[in-house]
Amino acid sequence: MSEIESPQKGAETAQPRQTTTGESDEQLRAEWTDYDFDGEAKLAVEDLDVHYGDEHALKGVSMDIPERSVTALIGPSGCGKSTYLRCLNRMNDRINSARVDGSVQLDENELYQEGVDLVELRKRVGMVFQSPNPFPKSIRENISYGPRKHGTIDTGLLARLFGRSDEESEERLVERSLRQAALWDEVKDRLDDNALGLSGGQQQRLCIARALATDPEVLLMDEPASALDPIATSKIEELIHELSREYTVVIVTHNMQQAERISDQTAVFLTGGRLAEYGRTEQIFADPQSQRVDDYISGKFG
Amino acid sequence: MSGATRTRLIRSNTTTAVAVAAISIGIAAVLFGLGFAAMFELIALTGTLVGFPTLTLLGALLVVQGGAVVTFGLGSRFSVVETNPRPDAGAVAAVVFALVWFVGGGIVASQLFGLGLVGWLPAALLTGGVGFAVTVLPGEDIGSTAPAGAVAVLTGLVFLSDLVGAQSVWGLGWEQQASLTAEFMIPVLTVFCALLTGWAAAKAYGGFGARGRRAGAYLLIYLNAGAIVTVLFSLVAFTLFKGLPGLFRGVAVGAGVGPQSTISLFGFGFSFSLPVAWPFVMNGVGLLNEFNGVLPAIVGTFWLVVGAVLFAVPLGVGAAIFLTEYAERGRFTQVVEVATNGLWSTPSIVFGLFGFAFLIPRFGNGKSLLSGMLTLGFMLLPLVVITSREAMLAVPDEYRDASAALGVTKWQTIRSVVLPAALPGVVTGVILGVGRIAGETAPILLTMAGGVFVPGSQTANVLGGFQFTASPPFVANPQLLEATSALPYQLYALITAGVGASGNVGNPDEFRWATALVLLAVVLSFYAVGIVTRYYFRRRLNYE
Ligand SMILES: Nc1ncnc2c1ncn2[C@@H]1O[C@H](COP(=O)(O)OP(=O)(O)OP(=O)(O)O)[C@@H](O)[C@H]1O
Ligand SMILES: [Mg+2]
Repeated sequence: MSEIESPQKGAETAQPRQTTTGESDEQLRAEWTDYDFDGEAKLAVEDLDVHYGDEHALKGVSMDIPERSVTALIGPSGCGKSTYLRCLNRMNDRINSARVDGSVQLDENELYQEGVDLVELRKRVGMVFQSPNPFPKSIRENISYGPRKHGTIDTGLLARLFGRSDEESEERLVERSLRQAALWDEVKDRLDDNALGLSGGQQQRLCIARALATDPEVLLMDEPASALDPIATSKIEELIHELSREYTVVIVTHNMQQAERISDQTAVFLTGGRLAEYGRTEQIFADPQSQRVDDYISGKFG
Repeated sequence: MSGATRTRLIRSNTTTAVAVAAISIGIAAVLFGLGFAAMFELIALTGTLVGFPTLTLLGALLVVQGGAVVTFGLGSRFSVVETNPRPDAGAVAAVVFALVWFVGGGIVASQLFGLGLVGWLPAALLTGGVGFAVTVLPGEDIGSTAPAGAVAVLTGLVFLSDLVGAQSVWGLGWEQQASLTAEFMIPVLTVFCALLTGWAAAKAYGGFGARGRRAGAYLLIYLNAGAIVTVLFSLVAFTLFKGLPGLFRGVAVGAGVGPQSTISLFGFGFSFSLPVAWPFVMNGVGLLNEFNGVLPAIVGTFWLVVGAVLFAVPLGVGAAIFLTEYAERGRFTQVVEVATNGLWSTPSIVFGLFGFAFLIPRFGNGKSLLSGMLTLGFMLLPLVVITSREAMLAVPDEYRDASAALGVTKWQTIRSVVLPAALPGVVTGVILGVGRIAGETAPILLTMAGGVFVPGSQTANVLGGFQFTASPPFVANPQLLEATSALPYQLYALITAGVGASGNVGNPDEFRWATALVLLAVVLSFYAVGIVTRYYFRRRLNYE
């Protein structure tokens, strides 16, 4: 896992004002792996490498994500943010060509080992995808899909026959989730309409609501506000802030201001699939250690 | 032309020229229709139409049409009419006109002037070349109108002259082929000229250029679509008119006129009389019947299809789920795919033979409804597998990912997301398959018996046939093991029995057509059920 450096060097030296040599890379890594936070590490990532076939998409990434906080992942397009995110709930397993090496621990349980129950893992680590993907079902069914399948609410035929049906709690759950995702007012009168009839931004919020409904401990969000207007965006940001009291949120965003506003710590990925810097958000934005990160944040490249 | 380099944004409203072009399109449509009517012998070429001899009328219309088209082209050329022609009429038109003129020139040279091969071939080449040149060289307006119009005028003149009569055998130099009679060739020529000049007129109507080409293409497409729909409807209408008299023979409505019916299930039953008597669909054939019918075959076909669907759909969908969702995509799935495709193309008589050799010895050693059901079920199976698989592969992976990311198991995902999304496709496959198996004759011939005139006692009473038994499996249905008949087989038997065999059926020909009509109705009603089902699922998915 350590011979990965050499072939990529050439590509990186093409960048102007390159300061990241092999050594300073190590130094930087030492600095940010020392990044200290109060409380527990919810997710501990060690030396993570991801290959898609021959493409080396993520190179030796290590970072600990603290509990009950918001972590922002920023970086130029194609640098591996989504890939990294997908490692945290093992969604990369679903991509045939993907190969993951390294270690990810959730509450000190190794995820990349034999015998991990993926269904259980994904119940605990929820995900909102980069492109909205509602089911071709009604809005209500989209929200209650997860809880129904988990058995937390039961509105099946037998439950209804025996009067055990949880329709009321389903109603409450649908409303709460939609309110949290700032979608309730727009769809409350048409909960039984097909979700594919919603606009792109509405679908995006529906997918957030759907992920919230299953009540995960960790929420991975891949550009959840990319298709939203400023008002909806600020509501989602508020939601993320709220959530971080109880949940651990990891969010990918292309919007620096957004990352600065909502996150407790920020990880900057740079082209080539390398984690360039990771630290407290204020510190990253005010005083980045590496020149390239500075350039990226101030919009000089990327 | 008037030197306009770009198409005007707003077309000036109907000018005389545009009106002429529109009328010309109308004439083309009329000619097209008349040609088809003549082909199906709905109008006689020897008779008269609106007071004129049919052939004369066709000829005159063609001449007028051709003249109008050519005139329009000339008018456009000499800037009398405002159009936007391109420099040439296009490669496809050039090839088509060159061919048409080659054939036309050859026919004229060999038939009219009696030239031999040495004579007509150069003549044909010459006219073909002229046709090509006229299409390509003088510009799009002349190029697309003159060659078409000239062909129409020429054909019209031939019709008008005494060169061909409605009775004449078309002497194309292939006299040995007696089938090329004027009765066939005149309609074909008429339709062909209608298409050519209609296309030219539509182009003229659009003012040539891009808009004209679009108009020409539309016209051809609409005429074609219209022709196909007409042919299909004529088929159905033909069967309908021939079959209706036999179908409704002896129908009576009124309280208690119908046959005594018994509804029974597991030995319990109650009897009542239907308020309608419809002998053809309510009776079998019997000596005592006043009117005979095909009830056993209708019931047989119904149960055959139901049985085959009940057998094939669960198995086929299950196999498709395994192949798409669970099996590793690779050599194995490829082999299965090839095998299912091959099975679907296997001739039905082979399936019949399989049923005959394999199923019949296992189900009481006699032809039976159950053997028929299973044989047809085996026939249906590959199509269900193929279409279900296609439908499931078409379900976007995003749905599966979304479901997995919510912590939902694979099987739950398949049941709640993949299958519902794939259902319309599955239903489409079943509809297609039912259309095929409901009309199958060969497998039934070998596995389910039948007969020319099937007595009412052979009607399968599948629902009433269920019985409790003391030993496992506790439910039995001897009715399934009885031989019975199905519509396509009965129709086949009726036809091959020959005209002489009439049994006690008054008019065997009427009986035959009525059987065909009932078969058509049964198959179409299965279709209708399938289409409604698919519509329902699609609406739920908001798919498409
Ligand atoms: N399913 C896949 N198969 C093959 N290569 C992939 C796949 N997904 C991602 N990659 C490659 O991995 C690299 C990182 O992709 P990733 O989607 O993680 O980027 P990203 O940082 O999320 O970009 P963006 O900001 O545009 O979403 C890219 O070079 C991409 O081409
Ligand atoms: Mg991404």
